[in-house]
Amino acid sequence: MSRRKHPVDPHLRREMKADLERATDFDPRDPLFGLNRHDLAGPRLERRTVLRLLAAAGALTATHLLPGPVRTASAASGGTLKAGWAGVGEFRTLDPAQINQVLLFQISSNVFSGLTHINPQLVAEGDLAIDWTANDDGTEYIFNLREGVTFHNGDPFTADDVVFTYNRSKNPDTSIHSRVVANVTDVEKLSDHKVKIKLKAPQASLLVKTLERSSGRAMTIVSRGGIEKLGTAQYGLTPVGTGPFRVTDHSLGQSITLEKFDKYHDPERPKIDKVVIQPIIDAEPLAAAIEAGDIDIIGGNPIAPELTDRFEANTDLKVSIIPAPGFQSVWMNPYRDPFKVSDFNKPVEELMKEKGFKVRLAIAKAIDRDLYIKQAQFGRGTPAYGTINPAMGYFFDEGLAETSNQRFDLEEARKLLAEAGHPNGEGIPPLKILHIPSARREVQVIKNILKRNLNIDVQLDPKDFPVLIDAFDKMDWDLTRLGSGGDFDPDDGVVDWMQTASKFNGRKRDKEKHPFGYFSDSEVDALVDQQAVTANPETRRDLVRKLNKITSDKVASAFVFHPADTLVHRKSVNFPAESRIPGLVDLDRVTLS
Amino acid sequence: MSGYLLRRFLGAIVVMWAVATLVFFMLRAVPGDPIGAMLFDVGDAQAIADLKAKLGLDQPVYVQYVKWFWLMLQGDLGNSIYGSRIEVSRIVLEALPRTLSLAFLSFVIAVAIAVPAGLISAIRKHSALDHAVTIFAFLGLAMPDFWLGIMLIIVFAANLHWLPAIGYTPLSEGFWPWFSHLILPSIAVGTPFAAIIARMIRSSMLEVLKTDYMNVARAKGLKKLRIILVHAFPNALIPVVTVMGIAVALLMAGAVVVENVFAIKGLGRVLIEGILNRDYPVVQGAILAVSAIFVFANLAVDMLYTVIDPRIRYES
Repeated sequence: MSRRKHPVDPHLRREMKADLERATDFDPRDPLFGLNRHDLAGPRLERRTVLRLLAAAGALTATHLLPGPVRTASAASGGTLKAGWAGVGEFRTLDPAQINQVLLFQISSNVFSGLTHINPQLVAEGDLAIDWTANDDGTEYIFNLREGVTFHNGDPFTADDVVFTYNRSKNPDTSIHSRVVANVTDVEKLSDHKVKIKLKAPQASLLVKTLERSSGRAMTIVSRGGIEKLGTAQYGLTPVGTGPFRVTDHSLGQSITLEKFDKYHDPERPKIDKVVIQPIIDAEPLAAAIEAGDIDIIGGNPIAPELTDRFEANTDLKVSIIPAPGFQSVWMNPYRDPFKVSDFNKPVEELMKEKGFKVRLAIAKAIDRDLYIKQAQFGRGTPAYGTINPAMGYFFDEGLAETSNQRFDLEEARKLLAEAGHPNGEGIPPLKILHIPSARREVQVIKNILKRNLNIDVQLDPKDFPVLIDAFDKMDWDLTRLGSGGDFDPDDGVVDWMQTASKFNGRKRDKEKHPFGYFSDSEVDALVDQQAVTANPETRRDLVRKLNKITSDKVASAFVFHPADTLVHRKSVNFPAESRIPGLVDLDRVTLS
Repeated sequence: MSGYLLRRFLGAIVVMWAVATLVFFMLRAVPGDPIGAMLFDVGDAQAIADLKAKLGLDQPVYVQYVKWFWLMLQGDLGNSIYGSRIEVSRIVLEALPRTLSLAFLSFVIAVAIAVPAGLISAIRKHSALDHAVTIFAFLGLAMPDFWLGIMLIIVFAANLHWLPAIGYTPLSEGFWPWFSHLILPSIAVGTPFAAIIARMIRSSMLEVLKTDYMNVARAKGLKKLRIILVHAFPNALIPVVTVMGIAVALLMAGAVVVENVFAIKGLGRVLIEGILNRDYPVVQGAILAVSAIFVFANLAVDMLYTVIDPRIRYES
């Protein structure tokens, strides 16, 4: 996907591939996934161990396993970095307990610490933890905490802060992440710098996800003293953490100023003195700002795809593109004509006898994903045929584009439409497609493709996000353009979207009228449950690929594309490869020329 | 006069209350569930219900209204329902200086362009200058402010590097940082108003120049400049001031698109983002501020009439 190729040490590449293969080699019944307590001990997990844990957790992303060149920033320390955060009007809170947007994790990861932090080679390193040990069945971990660490307000960091953070996170009144720590039964202080974490069941993702400083959120360490002194509202604006930068100013809706925390536990970091982050909603001013040098780097929401070519052509700028997690779909309401489906549990051969299913499949087959990506995404992205995306590398099935029923085939699509009683789109009323206003261009491309390929008229129906979500949850739509910007784990696609009990599946629907939501298949439900508790990564991968193909073949939705993660900065910014973690903008190693 | 002022003041309060009340009920009639949208990713119906109860959004609308009104009378505009639930008064007060700065500079630019352009156009009626001013006025009205803003950014920030492309710096950090950040958005906002005011000055001046006392002034041998500036222009100002008053009020709340383009978080953006997110307390607080600006700007204009034209008197 990326147009820029990075030279990678062939030896390192071979080594990583070998590690990847070994990651799958363990007994699925083993609660420690073939590892022993010494493997799980810190301060630094070996790559082999991390791959095994990631694989068992379903978070292994092969696309990102192969590292880019490790480049250490060579410029002098100091200076002010001016950053523009795209597509956002203000930062209403940075409190880890309240944030659920990537653009906010990107900032908080520079202000807070976790017990662990993962690097681009997927090696989990101790952040506030020096080292750790696990018991034999993997249900208890003891962490030795870093001594001499202070919060930005001068308070010392101790085990009490870990316990406080856990108690705050597990309480739904104070945190929106209580479900993330549902498997943690207790966090016990053993001494000022030692804590024990007890689990209900072994959890491979504990070290690499739950306790990870940026993706964890639930266990991102907050300051009790800071919260008590500032109050929750002010803490959200000028939070107190132990991270490399401290927030010194927050002008609401205008800028956040971060300054180097002189007492950060690593005296070598951060390199720069100050970061000023401005929220910038519109694409053109954002582009003009980085071209003019008003800002040095772009973070926040994905930049408008139409700007990427322009940035790549600008010799003052550097552009780095890697796969991002997520998918976007066109959803078709199975309770409405012309896409009515009586029961998704029927085999595909039976479903093919239903006119509604034929129309669904015709639409899915008529969407020329390559054309869509070219016109709507300016060539950046990957055609989608399911929720599992390239950023989930190990689980992504590149062959699905050829094997799925949704494979682009215009002749077949037109034939299906005719068989459903709608030759050349006749008899199909204009269909409304629900979308957020900022997706207008993308939806317009879909509209044009369906008009040209199937002679189906689609009317754009832009709605503010709260209205769109309300309608989507109530199943009050013909078509909806929606998807996930999600995480790297297959659960993000299959548990969140494809199960009958999925959190997005018609949550507010009238169950008399819409008994199963937008999609329901008992085999898929069973496979989703099974993969969630399957430790063997190969087996899990097979299960995920199998259920992903079923959802694709049965047209749970017309899957359209997977996005790209684009980082843009001026050449004066040295953004080392070791900080290039997909989705994040860690600035502690960044220097300015 | 004081009785008149008191009546107008009380009238203004009633108007603000009416607007705030209307907005309160209309907002809740608009479709969209802010809590559902906010906790969309959490996917827990109980969490949504709990948060609604915590914020009082599960209560009947009239109960919510009474509570909100009672708190408002005590100076408490409530808290945003998003993020860290910041006080609405703080959100409004942080945005207000940015909006005031932008509106002030835009107004100055509009007047600075409009007054000479309108006067020249009236004095040199049907001349090339008059036609040039007319063309400028039509251009100013025809150019969308966001387009003009982007063009200004591309030329003066991206290409010439003379001025910053985006952002806002408070006046407390120095005049030049404040001015340099505001000059481009102020031109974008002020240009259409300059066009309107210039046209208004032209037509008003042409009316005045036709009156008998202008002939008398000329017959007395007064200098042309004195006739225009001392005798004609002040008398032509009454309708112009009315338009200026409306312009000030519109500038205070209507620069939202330009605020977006230049990444300035003013009142307009607070209002729009509040509406898009269905952040009820923020919208109510911002509307209250905007309506106050509108009614008091109009009151100020009415008072200004008595200064411009001593014949105008308001009876108690």
